[in-house]
Amino acid sequence: MKFLCTDCDTAMKFKDVTRPEQGSVTALFECPDCFTEIAMYLNPSETQMLKSLDLKLGGTNEAAQPMQLVRSQLETAKGESMSNLFSSETSSDETTEGGKCPFTGVISEAFQEDATPIEPEGPTWTAEALERLDRIPAFVRPMAKMGIESFAKDNGHDEITGEVMDAARGNFPAQF
Amino acid sequence: MKSYTDLPSDAGSNIIGQVTAQATRLQKRLASVKQTVAIMSGKGGVGKSSLTANLATALTVKGNTVGVVDADINGPTLAKMMGVRNATLEYTPAGVKPAMTALGTKLISMDLLLAEDDAPVLWNAHSQKDAFTWRSTMEVGALREFIADTEWGNLDYLLLDLPPGTDRLPNVVELIPNLGGIVVVTIPSEVSQLIVKKSVTMARDILKVPIIGVVENMAFYVCQHCGEEEPLFSADKTPHKAFQQTVLGSIPFDPKLARSNDNGTPYVDRYPDAPASQALMQVAEKIQDFFSDSPLIRGVGGLPS
Repeated sequence: MKFLCTDCDTAMKFKDVTRPEQGSVTALFECPDCFTEIAMYLNPSETQMLKSLDLKLGGTNEAAQPMQLVRSQLETAKGESMSNLFSSETSSDETTEGGKCPFTGVISEAFQEDATPIEPEGPTWTAEALERLDRIPAFVRPMAKMGIESFAKDNGHDEITGEVMDAARGNFPAQF
Repeated sequence: MKSYTDLPSDAGSNIIGQVTAQATRLQKRLASVKQTVAIMSGKGGVGKSSLTANLATALTVKGNTVGVVDADINGPTLAKMMGVRNATLEYTPAGVKPAMTALGTKLISMDLLLAEDDAPVLWNAHSQKDAFTWRSTMEVGALREFIADTEWGNLDYLLLDLPPGTDRLPNVVELIPNLGGIVVVTIPSEVSQLIVKKSVTMARDILKVPIIGVVENMAFYVCQHCGEEEPLFSADKTPHKAFQQTVLGSIPFDPKLARSNDNGTPYVDRYPDAPASQALMQVAEKIQDFFSDSPLIRGVGGLPS
């Protein structure tokens, strides 16, 4: 993919990329002559395809880490922490010793993502609701959590309680 | 106005460079592997994984260093069959240390990375909707990393256990253009042979991959009471007629083989004197002969079973 500044007839250069928001990535390109910037938006499918190919917008100078694609993209990996299960943006490589895996930063960088997890936007969870969430089988839990949060958002709930989960339950095959 | 070809690069992402780096990683790892062999069928349920586990063990017993890639990303069974499900993978900057059986056969499998027995392979994505558009790309990427990022060391043989489907071999050939050869597994049923023929055509005529030969699994069973050989299926027992390929062996059905798979104790090691073990050892020997360019196998193109 190439971009041309039509005013200058000059090839534009990659400048920056944002971490995924709602699955979509934004890449900035700049004309080296007139400094005009354009933004390219990748929809979630395009972003996902780029991840599946283990390719990085803007390139990388970092050496690839062992199985970085599998380890960062497999949701149900061994040793995976709950917080990572719920994040579509960070790697799955927290060590069991409690510290960050040394590969985490590199893997996050590989996808041009911020290595420091940020709190996801959206409703908060009560302790009771989290406990019930834990009872959902691990492999469907991320999707269930996403669905419940979506239900809460659509219905104006800032906090997910047991009642909200009960109300959302009709939308899911899994019991919780 | 400049055209696409007038512009010198892809604006800085160097996608070609990144893809080349992936291929280089793979080539560097495969440089220490003497022979790569894909075990395939096209048809499910013919015993590819069981055969792979036992061929790997047989080749190991014969003094070879052997690695196995469980290329069935979504239905990995080899860690169970080879008794290494509890192995913990160790990650180092140089690669991932594979699981190792008691006999020294090395294995990498998705099963070793999954958190729970009932967890399917689920990839991180903003949405699983329309996942068909990228899932197979992710699976090929996973397979590439299994081969390229595992610390195999020097291997005489790297076996790849392919999942069912005639579309799988092209993916492997994309990753390993100089694939040493394939072993085609079938059972003596017309239904199986109908599908397996397609795989043979794909390998021989389209991908031009050397076919080491065909293994006829569950060829017959031996009556435990009278010792008579009885057929399990209805089709002709000599598949070389159907496939026009060398028959590496006909493996009799033995319930103990399935039990060995469940127990994680490779059958050829547990029951070395059983007829099926001896047939499996002969298949391993013929694979060795194929690569040592033995006139007994290579070039004959269709020995009777």
